[in-house]
Amino acid sequence: MSEWILQAMLYTLTFFAVITLVRLLIGPTASDRLVALNILSAVSLALLILWGVSTKRTLYLDVALVYDIFGFLGFLAITRFLKKSKEGS
Amino acid sequence: MMIIREVLALIAFLIGTAFGLVGMVGLFRFKDPYSRLHAGSLCGTTAVFSYLLALLLLSPSIASTLRMIILIVFFLISAPTGSSIVARFIWESQDAEAHRSSMNREDKSL
Repeated sequence: MSEWILQAMLYTLTFFAVITLVRLLIGPTASDRLVALNILSAVSLALLILWGVSTKRTLYLDVALVYDIFGFLGFLAITRFLKKSKEGS
Repeated sequence: MMIIREVLALIAFLIGTAFGLVGMVGLFRFKDPYSRLHAGSLCGTTAVFSYLLALLLLSPSIASTLRMIILIVFFLISAPTGSSIVARFIWESQDAEAHRSSMNREDKSL
């Protein structure tokens, strides 16, 4: 039953990631794309942790922690860059 | 003992799936970026948090359990902060102006 739950979780998280990618591609403005990217980073964090649990290796959990920290810093950089490029034009 | 953990993990998984599906519907049904941010941060925080709780119940060893507790605490700090950064970007980029023309731009208290 445990393997069944992990398999179902993998399918639903992949489904959420695909739906969010569609929103990221068709989003009319930069704000919509940024909202979709915010969700996508959380979903990929959950996918990394799921992979670490289902293969019983703690290495992926360390990767997930570093990914969370740098994804958070990347958001600050992306918003700062977009704001500056909009002011410059 | 294992069957109790599996049943609790299944309940958390079903709650997370329900919240995630509702959030994905809201991501496509809503019209302006503020509403999409509301739906997205709902599903991004609650669904992923429920999934992390289910994975915490299913974790194989004590080392992965401790790492996962640190991850959950850090996720609960970083996800609302990221949503706040996105909301501030939407407010300053004025992308929602076309949908909400009567919005009071003089209020700078955000």
